[in-house]
Amino acid sequence: MSEFSGMEELLQDFILESCDLLSDVDNKLVELEKQPNNTALLNDIFRGFHTIKGGAGFLNVKAMVTLCHRTENLFDKLRNGELTLNSRVMDVIMDATGVVRDMFGPLSQRQQPVSADPALLAALDEALAGSAASDAAPAAAPVATAPVVAAATTAPATASGAEPNWATLMQVIVPAAAVAAAPASTATPVATQPALAPIPAQVPAAVSGEVLPAAAPAKTPAKAAPAKTNAPVSSSQQENTIRIDTNRLDMVLNLSGEIGLTKNRLTTLRTEILQGHSDPNTLRSLDEAVSQLDLLVSDLQNAVMKTRMQPIGRLFQKYPRLARDLARQLNKEVELIIVGEETELDKTMIEDLNDPLVHLVRNAVDHGIELPEERIAAGKPAKAEVHLTAEQVGDHILIEIQDDGKGMNADVLRRKAIEKGLIDVETANALDEKQCLQLIFLPGFSTKDQISSVSGRGVGMDVVRTNIQKLNGRIDITSVPGEGTRISISLPLTLAILPVLVVRACNQAFAVPLAMVREIIPIDPNVIQEVSNKPTIVVRDEILPLKSLSHLLGWEPTDKPAFGVLMQSAAHSFILAIDSFVGRDDVVIKPLQNIRPKGVAGATLSGDGSVVLVLDMEDLMNNKDVTPAALRTPEYYPG
Amino acid sequence: MSEKNLRFLVVDDFSTMRRIVRNLLKELGYTNVDEAEDGQVALHKLKTQHFDFIVSDWNMPNMTGIELLRAVRGDAQLRTLPFLMITAEAKRENIIEAATAGASGYIVKPFTAATLEEKLSKIFTTLTTA
Repeated sequence: MSEFSGMEELLQDFILESCDLLSDVDNKLVELEKQPNNTALLNDIFRGFHTIKGGAGFLNVKAMVTLCHRTENLFDKLRNGELTLNSRVMDVIMDATGVVRDMFGPLSQRQQPVSADPALLAALDEALAGSAASDAAPAAAPVATAPVVAAATTAPATASGAEPNWATLMQVIVPAAAVAAAPASTATPVATQPALAPIPAQVPAAVSGEVLPAAAPAKTPAKAAPAKTNAPVSSSQQENTIRIDTNRLDMVLNLSGEIGLTKNRLTTLRTEILQGHSDPNTLRSLDEAVSQLDLLVSDLQNAVMKTRMQPIGRLFQKYPRLARDLARQLNKEVELIIVGEETELDKTMIEDLNDPLVHLVRNAVDHGIELPEERIAAGKPAKAEVHLTAEQVGDHILIEIQDDGKGMNADVLRRKAIEKGLIDVETANALDEKQCLQLIFLPGFSTKDQISSVSGRGVGMDVVRTNIQKLNGRIDITSVPGEGTRISISLPLTLAILPVLVVRACNQAFAVPLAMVREIIPIDPNVIQEVSNKPTIVVRDEILPLKSLSHLLGWEPTDKPAFGVLMQSAAHSFILAIDSFVGRDDVVIKPLQNIRPKGVAGATLSGDGSVVLVLDMEDLMNNKDVTPAALRTPEYYPG
Repeated sequence: MSEKNLRFLVVDDFSTMRRIVRNLLKELGYTNVDEAEDGQVALHKLKTQHFDFIVSDWNMPNMTGIELLRAVRGDAQLRTLPFLMITAEAKRENIIEAATAGASGYIVKPFTAATLEEKLSKIFTTLTTA
């Protein structure tokens, strides 16, 4: 039996709502560091922990109640002015927040999280008592804390927190109920040991599956081991639920109602036409009804898509804390500035973006930003800025992360790549500066001489690029030595619907992504020029290679290509030679099961019901130059 | 009128908590429940709709439970409404503050349906005897 049987839905809600709340708390904590006396912030953070504690109490998650309770008490004293915030207290609070977040991991697997590290609880208690002693203002403090001050002064608040007096202290400070809830951590001298004693709070059999229909994958409970890690984002927490603005949901409902009505109209018209009524009036009605259906369906598609759209801020809000923790760890001063958090993106993309973005933020702080001394020596302010921005540009979302750090040096990158044996010297020397920057995307490339615990294992950037490409996105990098690095990620708005251009070659229809199409031009055989033995066409002073679609596919052309589609992507610009084109369409890509022909992203159905292959141009282009030899032979371009 | 038809207003800023309280009330047979996410929203609902019973959290943004309680007791229309205060603390000064402000009852989180029922029936008894 799961501990939470019968409460699964409630638990899901609690986790979802609390995680949001905790992210909010995290951000407010980063703010609080800048303005430690802001009462509104203190109040908000207090309420955050208080609320989570309340919910956890009902779900009987004792470990969380204990931890939140102490943190909340600490904030109660901070907001009442009984304690003042210093960096040590702040660190303890940050740790506590991290541990609370970690507890959501096991909870989402429907398991009780193990109790917080006793050392952390002790540190919280010490913060509660210790700073009060140093404040030494018993007159201002309420009656209840007076004995605490006395007790604390007898045992000087040393960093190790080795006093045996915690039990007594606890009883004074914390209401009896909470002491009872956490007897182990207070009554025993465990508090002095920083080492973790992972107490398996639940038997592994708790996940034995009988109660969990839509059960989460049975991850090993060992994963839940209490770690005092600073990693605030556990990527294992995938969300199966979504919160939608009711207005958007109503829109979907209205539109489906409208479509129902139009369908009725069409049914009536069908009967009339089948009965032989094909007078102009009936046909006009049919035309109207179909046009209306057309409009409604595209509206419905948009409306449904909108329900999947979520503000990217939900993702971004986790990063200030990440940057702050990392900067502290590395003794750097960094401020993460976020712009455009209201930009909306498909929910699945937001989730898949997390890992790449975490990596990029870490990279910026770890590799990009210099130590304060170096920055001052270079004439920069000691505090570095990392800008994380999102905006919608046309039908794309542009996400940029820009630092004002030391930038990347093309020569250094070149040398590294050679040292690591990723490329040979000749290739390296042939690369221009922009191409050198691309080297960081090679598997196994890491610019740090020493592997740090933070980033720099060299498994990073290639994975980042692969992940972005999986989302049909593009990643670009620009860097100026001494001034900083900017990484731009460009993503389609959604993965669900793809606008395409349908073209014909070899008597078959193919769809190419419209995003890559710049224009369509007729191909006049006379304007084809040979440049180093390859056919090219000059379009407005730009020499573009001509590639025949049939050849890219490895087929024999049946007809002489009559049209050229000017295609543009990050890596290539070229003219795709085709026989004819059908038009543009919005398609839903169905992946091909079990087979993956090169250059084919999937299939879709065209308006007349036939199957159309959707081409993956990048993949097709990587089909190392199947040189369109036939295009050059005179038979196809006589004269 | 049967008690089970009473219309409840559950006030809490945490939707999970509203749901918990709603579920507990449902367990006790009270199905006529509306929600509000803070004191301000609650007060507006109370002034525009009819309610028989308020169950409110203490600690909320915009307008806290105790402020809501004072507003309700200071309103000619609403002053007699039963008001059950929910908090996470069993602090003496809090209980006294709520009682002075005119709370009909006081319940500490977490609680079970049984505890809630007990508190409710206590309030109903005082209502009928008064």
